[in-house]
This record gives sequence, C-alpha cells and structure tokens, in this order.
Amino acid sequence: MNNFWNPYLQPDDRQRRIIGAASVLALLVFWSILAVTGIVSPARLPAPWDVLKAMAYLSWHEGESLLLTATLWSLGRLLVAGFLVVAIGIPAGIVMGASPRVNAAVSPLVDPFRSAPVVALLPILVMWLGVGEEMKIAFLFIGAVVYLIPMVRDAIQAVPQNYWISARDLGATQWECIIRAVIPMAMPRITDAVIVAFSVMWTYITVAEYVNAKSGLGQLIQNARRFSAWDQVFAGIFIIMALALLTYQLMTAIKRKLYPWETQL
Amino acid sequence: MSDSGQVRLLASISVELIDIIQEYPSPSGGVTRVVDGISLAFSKPGINMLLGPSGCGKSTILQMMGGVRPINAKTPTSGKVMINGIECNDAHDDSVMVFQRYANRPDLSVYDNVAFPFRLNLWKKKVPEAEWHKRVAEMLEETGLKDKKDLSPAQLSGGQNQRVALARALVLRPRILLMDEPFGALDAQTREEMQRLLISLYNEHPCLIVFVTHDVTEALMLGDRVIVLSSQPAKVSDDFTITAMRPRSADWQRSDEARQLEKRILTSLHTAPGRGVVRVTI
Ligand SMILES: Nc1ncnc2c1ncn2[C@@H]1O[C@H](COP(=O)(O)OP(=O)(O)OP(=O)(O)O)[C@@H](O)[C@H]1O
Ligand SMILES: [Mg+2]
Repeated sequence: MNNFWNPYLQPDDRQRRIIGAASVLALLVFWSILAVTGIVSPARLPAPWDVLKAMAYLSWHEGESLLLTATLWSLGRLLVAGFLVVAIGIPAGIVMGASPRVNAAVSPLVDPFRSAPVVALLPILVMWLGVGEEMKIAFLFIGAVVYLIPMVRDAIQAVPQNYWISARDLGATQWECIIRAVIPMAMPRITDAVIVAFSVMWTYITVAEYVNAKSGLGQLIQNARRFSAWDQVFAGIFIIMALALLTYQLMTAIKRKLYPWETQL
Repeated sequence: MSDSGQVRLLASISVELIDIIQEYPSPSGGVTRVVDGISLAFSKPGINMLLGPSGCGKSTILQMMGGVRPINAKTPTSGKVMINGIECNDAHDDSVMVFQRYANRPDLSVYDNVAFPFRLNLWKKKVPEAEWHKRVAEMLEETGLKDKKDLSPAQLSGGQNQRVALARALVLRPRILLMDEPFGALDAQTREEMQRLLISLYNEHPCLIVFVTHDVTEALMLGDRVIVLSSQPAKVSDDFTITAMRPRSADWQRSDEARQLEKRILTSLHTAPGRGVVRVTI
C-alpha cells in the first residue's frame, strides 16, 4: 500500500471516518459472534443487543428514565467539582507559573500527588467528610486539580519570553506583563488543562459514586452489578464513555472558537 | 501633539553612555568581555546607526539606552547610562524598542496590537482616551495598515508585521526609539520599502533613533551618524556624520561620497578583525 508507513500524510476525512467505522463494526461483529456461538457464556459477556436493550430499559421504563436521572446527578457533581477545579486550580497554577519562588515552595506539595493513588484517598475523605455530597465533590476535585495545576503552571512557563520583555519595554509592571501578555498567550494551553481535568473527572465519577451509592451513573452501575445485570453494567460504562467523549468534543470545539490564532502560530 | 509639545520634545533629549563595560559569565566558567569601554553621547533628534559585525554586542549596548536589560547579569558591569541627565538603570518610559523578531501578539488584531500600550496603567494615566484613539488611527494611516486593522498578525507579511511594531512604538511619541535590526529578517526589496517608511515616519515624528544593523548599505542610506563597532569585545572604531539629504537615491549610493564612506567603514572593520560578519547589499 502506498504511503502506509508515512506518518505525515493523513488520510482525508471521509477515508478516516470509513476506516474508523469499519474497525468499530469489526469489534461489534466479533463480539456478536462470541455471543451467538456461546463461546463466552451470556452470564459473563452480554450480547451487544442485550446491552442495547438494557440501554433502552434504562432510558425509559414505567414512566421514568433511570438513565436521565443518574446522568443529571453525575453531571451535576462533575460541574460543581469542575467549577471548583477551575476557580481554584487555574489561579494557583498561574501564580506558580508566574513566580518561580512560589513554584519552588508549592510544587513539592502539589507535584507528588500527580502520581498519588487518588483512589486510596477515598476512605480518608469518607472519614473526614462523611459519605455525602461533600466527599464525592472533594474526591473529584482532588483527582482533577492535581493534574490541572501543574498543567496550568507549565502553560504559563511555556509562553516565549519575548512577549514579557516587549510588554515590559512598553512600560508594563511585572504583574501587568503577566496579566496583559503572558496569561492571554497561555490561554489555549490552560484550556487544554481544563479539558484534561474534565476527562479525568469522568473517569473518577464511578469511584466517587460507589460509596453510599444513592444516585448517579456510578450508583447505576454498582446497583446493576449487585444483581449481576451485566448488560446494564456494560450499558452504564458505554454511557459514561459517550458522555466523556461528548464533553471532550464540545470543549475542544469551544476552544477552537475562542482561540483561532493558536493554530496559526 | 501641539507645536509647543513638539518643541519641548526636540529640545530635551540626551542619552549618554559613559565608560560602559559589559561582561557576561562564559560557559567555560570565567567571564567574557562583550563591551569594552564605550562612551557615546546623543543629544539631538536624528537617526544614529550602530553598525557592527554579528555577535559584537550591539543589542547589549542598545538595551542599556532605556530598554529591558538582560535578567541574568548586572548591566552594565561598570560605567553609567544617563538619560536626560538622570542615571538610568532599567527600562525607561521615554524609550521604546522595536525588535528584529516582531513581538506582535498573535491573539490580538492589528488595531489592538498598535493600541496595546494604552491598556497599560502607565499610558492610561498619561494619555486621555480620545487622544490615544486619534493617535492609533493616525499611525495606522501613516504605516499603511488602515485597511488591515482587523486582521491578525499571522495574516500579514513580514514587512507588514514590522509596520505594526513601528506603529505600536510611535503611538507613544517616544523621545528615544531603539531599533534592533528591525528589518534584518526581511527580503531586500521589503527592507528598502521599510527604510523609506522609517524616513517618512521620522520626518513626521522626529526623535532620537538608535538603529542597530550589520548592513553597511543600510547604515549609509539611513544614518545622520554612523558609529562603527569592532567585533567582540565591542569598541567604537569609527564615528562620523553623513549630511546628504534623505531619502538618499540610488545615484547617491553610487556617488564618490558614498563609496568612500563604504570603504572607510570596511577598512575600519578590517583593521579590527574579528569573528563576526557584516553585509553589504548592492
Ligand atoms: N544575557 C546574556 N547572557 C550571557 N551572554 C550574553 C547575553 N546577552 C548576550 N550575550 C553574549 O554577548 C555577545 C554579544 O551579544 P549581543 O546580542 O549584544 O550581540 P549583537 O551584536 O546584538 O549580535 P547579533 O548581531 O547576533 O544580534 C554574544 O556573544 C552573546 O552570546
Ligand atoms: Mg542583536
């Protein structure tokens, strides 16, 4: 095949969509074969159509939508935690990036948490905050903010020095250089950090909602698992993946709208 | 600006470098002397060309005249810089720098790039809003960017980007304009065009220009005064004035006067041999 091993030549959009759809389809076919032939028992791996049926059941059954309720709960928690992550993490990262001394003081306190087993913090949070909403929000917040802060700091430090120098030459104070030149130039990468933070929170949402499960997609999955309703477990996982993907696409589109100049650099 | 303002502006500019020595820590451990005992005085509006081979210390000297100085070393190592009789140790409000690599902001439109200084407290306080709107519009007009004001710098050519940089500097009506090889990255034809633009802008807004170049022809075409620096460590190896009217024609460039000046510059550079190179465009 021509240009098969040429990483710089992208297939056009149509071709890429076809290839992508084909490989998803191939996986579905493979999965269906496993289900139909009974190579893997339905108790261990529900058939694709059973997962689909479970989705339909969850979406609408006896006048209520379990899925919608669960999604709204999860989304609500995610948005509250996300608001806190942005409101606290971005200023913290900016200050760290803008002042090497603050960074020297604070980064030993923040950076190690990037590789900390955040899930292992859960029992501690339960002990401190109980099993209610505070604990869930705090867990999501910590899980995401430890990624966001270093990324924002790096975004600030990655801004070429000449913008700082040129603002300074025009009479800006150091702080004005940060506010008027460095931060605006760092915004695309700061937005990237926010996008990552939301992706991280979607992966942690189930964990947050396992404890004292009363609502949310995590609870929905946990509940289904307890009754060995594996079709619903699969359905729940797919829903979360879809929502995470949707969030990502939406935020990326917004970013491209806000900072069209980034790609022109 | 009012006439009396103009007169005051013309009357009071002076920049003095007194026994400037600059040393930087060298990678091998010791120190490298980059500038070795330079004394220069500028006391009236004019275009002063600082000509020297690449790497000789031209930017280092220029930054001392009210620009942003290097952060990693004490600048100057010894000696004094006086602006209007007052010792200057940092960026100076009266002086604005135009850089070789354009410092235009990719996230702002051409208009906002030119108006950028007026977002800063310093100039917000000094210049009333109506006045700066007027100045920005006028500068866009004079630099030929009026119909480009809503574009972003990425949509402009290299020459147009330097027009933006010039406009942004001149809206502040600086008394000192420092230019660090501003046209060095442009092709020959655009460079000539920009030189003509600079001359007409200078005639509109006379100020003390110190213009760094390693292009002998550029120095001859623009300068009221040409200061030739030897290669590292930089010393003044020649310093003369040119009285020919600007803009100087191609005929003037071929005249005896110009040829002799060119020869004079090249000899003075050759008698102080060094590692850097100068450029002569024909
Ligand atoms: N901040 C700094 N720290 C250490 N060395 C420096 C610093 N700035 C400049 N130098 C060194 O000093 C010398 C002169 O630098 P400078 O930029 O002033 O030269 P220049 O004449 O402007 O060169 P060019 O033509 O390349 O612009 C160079 O060898 C450079 O490596
Ligand atoms: Mg230089």
